[in-house]
Formats: sequence, C-alpha cells, structure tokens
Amino acid sequence: MKPQANRGSRCEQAQRREAWGAARNGAAPNVSRPTADAVRLVRDHAEAAIARTIRPGASAWLLVIIAALSTPARGVDFAHEVVPILRKHCGECHTGDARQGGFSLNTREDLLTGGDSGTPGVVPGSSTTSELMARITSDDPDDRMPSEGEPLPPDAIAVLKAWIDEQAPWEPGFAFKGTAWEPPLALREVVLPPAADGRTNPVDRVVDAALAAHGVPRPPRCDDRTFIRRASLDLVGLLPGPDRVEAFVADTDPGKHARLVRDLLADDVAYADHWLTFWNDLLRNDYTGTGYITGGRRQITTWLHRALAANVPFDRFVRELVSPADESRGFIDGIVWRGTVNASQAVPIQFAQNVGQTFLGINLKCASCHDSFVDRWTLRQTYDLAAIAAEQPLELARCDKATGVMATPAWIFPNLGQIDASLPSAARLAQLAALMTQPGNGWLSRTLANRFWHRLMGRGIVHPVESLRTQPWSEDLLDLLAGDLVSHGWDMRHLLETICTSEAYAAVTPAVEGLPRGGDYVFRGPLPRRMTAEQFTDAVWTLAGTAPAKPDAEVVRFDQDSTPSDLHPAATWIWSNEAAESPPEESLTFSKDFELPQPAVHAAVVLAADNSATLFINGKSVVTGNDWQQPVMAVATADLKEGANTVIVTAANAAAGGPAALRMEIRCRLADGTMQSIVTDGSWKWTKAKPDAKGQFPKDTKPTDWAPATVVANQATWATADAPFAAHVIAATAPASLPMVRAGLVKATPLMAALGRPNRDQVVTSRPSDLTTLEAILLANDRSLADEIAKGGSRILAKHGPDPDRVASWIFTAALSRPPTADEAAVARDLLGAAPTAESVADCLWSVVMLPEFQLVR
Amino acid sequence: MKSRRQFLECLAAAATTTLALPEPRARGSEQGPRIVHPAPRADAMIVLWMAGGMAAPDTFDPKRYKPFEPGLAVADVISTFPAIPTAIDGVQICNGLPEIAKVLDRATLVRSHVQPDLGSILHSRHQYHWHTGYVPPQTVACPHIGAWMARVLGPRNPVMPAFVNIGQRLEGVGENEEIKAFTTAGFFGSEFGPMNLPYPEQAALAVRPPEGMSAERFADRYAAMKRLTAASAHREFTSDFHQESMLRSIDNAHRLLGAKEREAFDITREPKEVQERYDTGRFGRGCLLARRLVENGARYVEVTTEYVPFVHWDTHENGHERVAALHAEIDRPIAALVRDLDERGLLDRTLVVIASEFSRDMITEGQPGSDAKDQASSPKDFLQLPAHYGQHRHFTAGSSVVLFGGGMKRGFVYGKTADERPCVAIENPVSITDLHATFFTAMGISPKTVFDIEDRPFYATLDGKGRAVESLFA
Repeated sequence: MKPQANRGSRCEQAQRREAWGAARNGAAPNVSRPTADAVRLVRDHAEAAIARTIRPGASAWLLVIIAALSTPARGVDFAHEVVPILRKHCGECHTGDARQGGFSLNTREDLLTGGDSGTPGVVPGSSTTSELMARITSDDPDDRMPSEGEPLPPDAIAVLKAWIDEQAPWEPGFAFKGTAWEPPLALREVVLPPAADGRTNPVDRVVDAALAAHGVPRPPRCDDRTFIRRASLDLVGLLPGPDRVEAFVADTDPGKHARLVRDLLADDVAYADHWLTFWNDLLRNDYTGTGYITGGRRQITTWLHRALAANVPFDRFVRELVSPADESRGFIDGIVWRGTVNASQAVPIQFAQNVGQTFLGINLKCASCHDSFVDRWTLRQTYDLAAIAAEQPLELARCDKATGVMATPAWIFPNLGQIDASLPSAARLAQLAALMTQPGNGWLSRTLANRFWHRLMGRGIVHPVESLRTQPWSEDLLDLLAGDLVSHGWDMRHLLETICTSEAYAAVTPAVEGLPRGGDYVFRGPLPRRMTAEQFTDAVWTLAGTAPAKPDAEVVRFDQDSTPSDLHPAATWIWSNEAAESPPEESLTFSKDFELPQPAVHAAVVLAADNSATLFINGKSVVTGNDWQQPVMAVATADLKEGANTVIVTAANAAAGGPAALRMEIRCRLADGTMQSIVTDGSWKWTKAKPDAKGQFPKDTKPTDWAPATVVANQATWATADAPFAAHVIAATAPASLPMVRAGLVKATPLMAALGRPNRDQVVTSRPSDLTTLEAILLANDRSLADEIAKGGSRILAKHGPDPDRVASWIFTAALSRPPTADEAAVARDLLGAAPTAESVADCLWSVVMLPEFQLVR
Repeated sequence: MKSRRQFLECLAAAATTTLALPEPRARGSEQGPRIVHPAPRADAMIVLWMAGGMAAPDTFDPKRYKPFEPGLAVADVISTFPAIPTAIDGVQICNGLPEIAKVLDRATLVRSHVQPDLGSILHSRHQYHWHTGYVPPQTVACPHIGAWMARVLGPRNPVMPAFVNIGQRLEGVGENEEIKAFTTAGFFGSEFGPMNLPYPEQAALAVRPPEGMSAERFADRYAAMKRLTAASAHREFTSDFHQESMLRSIDNAHRLLGAKEREAFDITREPKEVQERYDTGRFGRGCLLARRLVENGARYVEVTTEYVPFVHWDTHENGHERVAALHAEIDRPIAALVRDLDERGLLDRTLVVIASEFSRDMITEGQPGSDAKDQASSPKDFLQLPAHYGQHRHFTAGSSVVLFGGGMKRGFVYGKTADERPCVAIENPVSITDLHATFFTAMGISPKTVFDIEDRPFYATLDGKGRAVESLFA
C-alpha cells in the first residue's frame, strides 16, 4: 500500500476498510488487483465544472449559478492536518493577538500577506517560493522558525509543502483566533452593585446594573397569572390548577411570588418528576433502548428520581454518578455498542466526553480523535481523563489509529490536585469525583448554573450552553449563581429559588423579532420557551384527564416515611419443608402465579432470604438479596401487568448449610386505589429445576415436579429481621392516591418523539426551540392526540357543562391561567354552540391547545 | 409605517425558514468563501431500499447457477437463480426480475459497491452507516441523507414535505430504537426529518383530518383557532418571533392538509389498472405513492421493503424460496415506476436508486478474512435440505446498486465482482462515502457541504472527502 494511504484521517481509513475486502481478495483468477488506488483514480476526476452558491435553508432552490470550481487532486486535510501543525508550531507567536514580526496566520489573507518584511508568507501553488517554507526549513538559526525550540519534524514540513502546492486551501470561515474566552478555575468573588429601588435579590443587583450599562430600561414585572403559569411549568412542569391560580391572584401578600416558588419547589414528587427529564437528557438515561442491541445501557432511573426527590446536594449527586455504587453506575458505564466501534467511542472515551460535556462544560468530542482545533483541549487530555475510568491500560488512538502512546490517568485541572495513577480504577474514580466537586473547581458549578439559567430564561449566560468557552454576557452573574449554589451546600433547589425569586425572572417576556446572534445579545427579560414534549403532553393529560395508569420508570412517587403504619407485613418465611432444613448450597426455585384485576399504579417488593435469593417477575430480574437480616426493596411497577403474572424466586442456602428460608412481599396499589399484596405463604410452589437467566422455563424445560411450599414452623428463627422487614414493607406501600403519571416517566410515544424528546444515544443539552411543520401536522391529526382531546371533550362537558360560557371559562383558565376576554368568549361560544357537545368542547380544547400562548412557557 | 405585527406577518409570508434557523449554522455562509455546489442533474431522488441485505448473486450480479438437489456441493453454486438477458446487450440479471430486465437499458448498474463489515454484522448499524454516511456510534446525531437534501435544497414544492419515508414501521418490528436512530434529521432538527408513512395505502390518512372528523368540522376547528389567535389578548404582548414561527408551522401544516397536493398521498386516485400494475404488496404500493409524491414536488422519497430482523431480505434460511417471493414483490412495481417516470419526462431529473446495506453469500460472513461471527446455520459444504439453499450469510465486499435517471448514463455497467468466490469487487470499488458523494453531486449538493454542530464541522460526506463517481454521469 502506498505510504500516503497510511495517513490517519478517519475518511481514508474508512475508505481503506471499505475497499479492504476487495484489496485483500484481488487474487481471484484472471482479474486485476483492485486497491484503494482504484478509488483514488475515480477521485482524480475533477468535480463538476459549473457550480453554484449555497444559501442555507429550505429556500435554497432559488439559487443562482455563478461560479466555477476546481479541487485539489490529493487533498491535504486542512482541518485535520494543517491546522494542528500551524497551531502547535507557529500559534504562540502568530495567531490571535500575537503578530511577531507583523506576521499573523489568523486568516488565509493574513498568511498570504506576510509580515513586516513585505514578503508574502505563502505563495499558493508554489512551496519553493513561499517564505513560510523557507523559514521552517532554514539551517540558519537566525532565520529558522520557530525561533525557539525544535524545528518542525519532517512529516509536518511535508504536509505544509503539499498543502501549499495544492493552493493552500482554507476551511471556509475558519480563523485562528486569540485564545477563546475561558473562565478562571476558581469562582470569582462578585462585588454586588448597590440595590436599586429595593430590588435586593443579588440576581437583580447584577442584572439591573447590566441593563443600566446597556441603557435598557428595566422590564416590568409580568402579571400574576403569567407568573404562576410560568413558575409552575418551569419548576414542576405542570399547568397550575384554576383554583390555585385564582387563590394566587387574590392573595394580597407582597411576598406571594417567593412563597409560590418555595411551595412549588417543596413538592418533592412533582419536582423530581419534572427535572428527571432534564437529567435524563444530560445523563443519557431512558427506559428503553439503545445500544445495538438493547441492553447496552444501564438505567439509573430509580436512583435519579430518588436523588432529585430527596434534593441530594449537587456535589454528592455528581460524586455518586462519577464514582458510583451499583444503582447509579449507568452513567459511567456508557453505552456498549455491538461490533467494532471507532476508538473515539470506546466506553472510557464516552466517559471522558460525557463527564466533560455534562458536568464541566468542556467539549472533548473533537479532542477524542485529535487535538481540538476549535478549542484548547488535547487528545492527551481526553485519553488521560478516560484512563481514570478504564479498567485496562489505554492506548491513545489518533483518528482511530493506534499511536503506541499510553494514557496516564489524570484530569484536566491538576492545580486542584491530581489522580494517583497507581490506584485501581474505582479508587481513581473516587479521587476524580472528589477533585471535580471541590469548591475550587468553578467549572462544575458554573456549568449547572448556566444550564438552569438557560432553562428558565431561554438563553444561557454562556450561550450556546454546550461549552463554557464562550464569553458570558455577564461574568458576574455566572459566578454569582455558581457561588450561590456552592455556598448553600450545593442545593440545586436553592439555586432555582434564587433565580425564580428575582425580578429578572418575573419580568415580562420581551418582544423579539429574531434570534439574537452571537455577541449581540442583551438581556431584556426571560425569552418565551417552547414547552418540551413532556410539558406539552403533561398539559394535555392534565386538561383531558388522559394520563396513563402507571409509569414505565421504576420510581417512588410518595413520601415513604408518611405511609400509614398499620399496614403490617403478611408474608411468612417459607421453604420446601416445615423444619427449614436444607443441605449446604441447596438451591430451590419458588414460584407463584397471580392475577391483577387492574394495572398497578405502584408496586414494590421486599425480599429477605436466608441465605440468598433473586426475584424475577414475568421474565425480568428485579432484585437480589443475600443477607436475611437486611431485606432489600425494589420498585416493580413496570414489571407487573394487568391480568396474569408469574413470579419466580431462585433461593440458595449458604455453603455452611443450616436452616434456609425465604420471605417476600409485593405491595401493589391498583388503579382504583385498592391494595393487593403477593406474599410468600403456603400457596407457593417449589422445584429443584433451575430457570434460565431471565427467570423463565423455556417450553421444553418446564418442570413437572412442582411441590407445595411450606410455611416454616419456627418463624422466630428469624425474629431479629422482623422489624427491618416491616419497615421496608411500610415504605413499599403507596398511598391510595398518587399524583398523575407524568410524560417523563413513560416511554416516549411517537408524538413525544416527534415533538423533540430525544432517543438519548447522545448527551442532549437543549431541546428544539421551534415547532416544525411536520409536528404541526401531527398536532392537527395524530390519532393518539385526537383521541385524548376527544376524551377531554367528554370529560370537560360532564364536569363543567352544559353552559358554554362556563366550559370556555374553565378551558381558558386551566390551559392559559386566565379567563377568556370578551372577544375570545364570543369565538368560543360560536364554536361550542348554545348546547355544547362532546365534539364541540373537544374542538374548543384543541383550538386553545394550539395557541402559541398555550405552547409557550412565557 | 407598518406595525410590528404587520412586519412580522410579511416575514412569515415570505417563508423565512432561515429566521427560525437554530444552530447548527452552515459554515461559510456568513464569512469567507462560500461552499460551491455543482449544478444539479436531478431535482428529486427515490431510494428503493432492499432492507436486510439484497444478495447480488441472486439479483443483479448472477454467477454460476445450480438448482438445488440433495447433496449439492456449495462450492459448485454461487447463484440460486439462473441468469436472463436484459435490455442491455450482453448484460444479464437473475431470473425473477424480467420486468426490470426490460428497463435496464435506462439504468446504470454498479456491481462494485463495498462496505466495511464493522466487526460484526448488525443490520441496523450498517443501515445507519448507509443512510447517514457515518458509522455508529457517533457523538452527535447524524442526519439521514434525505435530511441533507431537505436541509440544503428544501422542498421542490413548498406545500410538500421534502423528505418522505415509506414502508418502515418504527414500532414493534425489532431493533426499533436502532432504526429510529438514523430515520431522523439528527442535529438538523425535525423540520428536516422524514414524514414517516409505514403503510402506503394509509398515507392519505396522514394528511387528512383525524379519523371520524369531517372535513367541515376540521376546517371549522382550524378557523376557530385562527380567530382565537387573532383575538388573543396576549398576541401583542409576547414575543413575535416565537409566536409567529409557531403559527407559521401550524399554517403550513393546514396548507398541506387543505391543498390539492394532499391528493398525492392517496394512491386510490390512480386508475385501477395502474394500481394493479404496482400492487404486489406494501412495497409495490409504496412505489406508486413515491411516484405520485415526486410528481407533486417531493424532494427525497425512500421506499423500503421494510427491515424486520430475519424477514424479507434478511434471509438466514430458506433463502432461495424467500428471494423468489421478493423478486415477485419488487420486479413489477420498480419497472412500472421507471416506465411511468420516463413517460412523464420525469426520469431524467429524478434519480431512482435500488440499494441495500450489503450483499449476501452462501459461505462468507462479512468479508473474506473477517472475524465477524457467522450468524447462519446452513452447511458450507453440502446441502441436504431445501431450506439450506440460499444466500444466508452477510457479505460486504461486493454488492449491486442500480441507478435510473437523474443524469446517470443509460445502459451502463460500472465495476465488477470476481466470477469465483469470494465474489469481491475487483474493479472500481465504490464506497458508501463515494456513492453518497455521487448522489449529492447529482442533486446539486457539494459533498463537502459542512455545518457546525457543537463547534465541530460536520460534512455531508465523511470529513468532506466523498468524491462522486464521475463516470456514472451521462
């Protein structure tokens, strides 16, 4: 193969791989030997002679034919080959603000112009007469560049020569810039400007000063109805109920806004249900897929929801994800893809990318293949970070090609301390988690503060929110919020409260006529934001009463400490014989079939086993316990179904032998509020046959020797386990009514996917901001939405009819948090008719749901 | 002077998608040299997707044939169908495709398409690669090539969706999440994503009022919504930009739902004999729908035989018998599509492509020398059962692509596979990257077209390096 074929771009490698079969097997009889040369031959044809300009956007069919094009034959890759060389060897003195000798290579024009000597830096097409080549190849130490340090290696010189001879093509729009803005490592001490007009919230003190500096008048506060709808959708993701709206409006307490914000944030379940979606996007957590084939991703749902409901401080939250116990390790485990994957998607590299992007606002994706040329991060930094999590030594691969260089476990900010590379990976992860969450690491707190601000205000302080290396519109505001988080014990809800109790958050949304570009942005109030797919779906479910009966997410949606305490366990210890006699390592399989007359809205299992047991429900492993004194609990709502269910428990005695027994109780709260418990007792059966890994007996292996299980005679043998077992059962018992199942807790429906809920193959930091035409078609005629709206029509008519004005008034207040105006009431009356029908009410509901005023959080 | 509202309404009327353009931005659009596109040879594209791996030796690249008999030596047989002549002198394809054979003189037949085997065959992963040009996993969600067409070229008729995907169910058929991962506009955002029509005979429903709602009621409901919008107390007080862009989309949707073009989705409007000409099943009806959509201004339409693991072209056993049925399913409608487009003068400006994620073989899994795991159980030496007769292993080193119209040569064969096993491409291998570059170039899109996503340049073809196979162009 020709040497140049070994050059490392992804493209050429893939090309080689694609042509590989052909190349290797060209020895077939009577044929010429095909190689990548054949492909290159094809490539040497010039591209079309006539070309036209692009105008981005769907209106591009109006384009004008204007120009001719010729393309270089070999095609040195400017971005991947030339830029790293220029940056590494010339950047310090000749890019950004640095113009040593008057010479800059920021743009192609600068490069061609040359420096103070007046000689062009580069003559396109002629490396032999280009000053740049003369200087980098010179033997004269006074002439040679770089003036300090080693001369350029021969392969780098060869790349630049070839590039210049190919007319020195330049990436359109690319420029070497000065060092991008970058925040200092530690948070800055923010000196608050004086409060103006009693606006004392520190956010307002900073924002008011920024407004004054731009000569922008302070935006007025929005009205109460707008505020309660905005705060409710933002903090718990739900429309406020009409009664709550009216009570808020009627309240004359000047502190009611702050109180509302605190009340909303105090609703643990609603808060967790809502913010689960935000974190699922950032942590790639979902209830289905993905990973070529399913099974490549481990869910962290139960842990995540509980952490949010308990308001686990953010530093601990991060530590539990980065240095996880079993329940939260899905994040660092990443997605295990089937087949050969690019080196930049190996699991440890996914770890580095995701820790960087999600928590530190550092984009390591470019630097996963090569030193980033849009950023300062290097391949080495990415691999060193990845090596912290890697179980095996990790070799750097540049553009999917092994380099022979090994990574050393290390993280990005050694000033704060460094990883001890000699420790095993679990200990290294614990070190990383501790280093990341030091208060001295401002990148972590800033990144979260910026994401929250973006969520609540429609635009990040640093924008886009992908990376912190863009100048914020207010460095003070960013560090103020980050500092507020850290100094209040990393309390995420406190940070939300700080923002949402500001006048800046309560301001009316400004009229904007387009999306602000780049550095032009001036804060004028929160921007209207489109509801997420989940907010929209929850809103429709709230109005139409069509939420599903049970979630797919295995989560606890009630306060486990406040369950009525009279619900004692009914489960007994069982085994194959009354005496609980069991030889060492005896392994038995217990089973029970049962019916659920309705779906379970919440189900949880408590299991204790002497000595160990694993529970399977309907062919899915649910929980394993191996300490009879410490029962285990697991949520199993999604595993149970309406109708017939089968539980299988594989139980085993210890190696030492002695008595063995099993005790298990499943508490199911059914859709009508009744309770059904499935408990170990004499109605169970056992066999010595063993099920498969999913706890099932495939067709031809079904045991025929099931025998009745026996309630063990001396239950007191395990008396010391009674109290913890009872406590767990009480915690497993859901109250008779649970809040509405939320869209974020169920698998994505086609409509939700269409409205922008991502499939979470990648980390997602923001949702689409525009309603598209295809989405609008679905809103007009999607079958599932139409069914829900139709059901809503019947339900609203039954509850609030038949007076059309009352119906319209309820729909408007429930959907928009305000009554209809006289004009709107007239339109609604026309639509509803004097005697509204389920259909006309449904149409009225649809019309309101379509309004931008409804679909925007504003 | 115009009020602010009037100003915005004017903008909305001008269909200013660029105003609503979220990140990513097209690079070079604002500063520096512009991306220069080639002159388009085609305005529309139809991909006929043979999902599951269409065996070239049993379709467009016949080799040595032997019928099944107990004890048949696998080494003695490469094709399980005999060859038949075509409208191109000296060029044969497999028996079972007689109608396509008759129109092959309007095609360029590429017999040297090659793919990497990715270390292990997984159809959805290879299909992702074929449809986006990028091997999954990737750090950003890659756009489907149809989304590139939609993003760069837009619809030909503003009422019609630019990208329509016919025949693939996205729920309940296996590997759903993986199929969805590339049936998307990725980071372009869903404005440029596919309109999915899994059942062509029900496509009309997708642009009709919801079932059970009369057209009159549907129109009244929309009119009421418009009146409410006009009467909205909040209209003057909230952001024009966000509000107007949302209303514009709702208006666009209802424009299609009320437009004449909507009839294009209804294949029952075709004369009965035409419907019968196409109707070999869901795929055949999809071809008819594709023709109607392209006639009415769709930009990119894909019709699939549908990917369902172990079904259709994914022949892990009984391959011969199943391919015979597939021949019958695709032969008439594809020929009818080509003839109809040609008769209407549309074929010259419509690129019709028959393609698949890879080929198949009776012996080799992946490519020769690969360590990809063998996923079939048929013997590799001697066959005893009819169910073992067929192309049961996935083969990535030589497959066929047929290109009709769209500026391609007529009656031309490009590339070649070895006549003996392994039947690898031995002449002019064409990678996915270069095949895409050929499609893009035909449609007037530079293979170097690039967008910024998360600060990273992302190209229409891998690293911007795809080169069109120029010798295919007429």
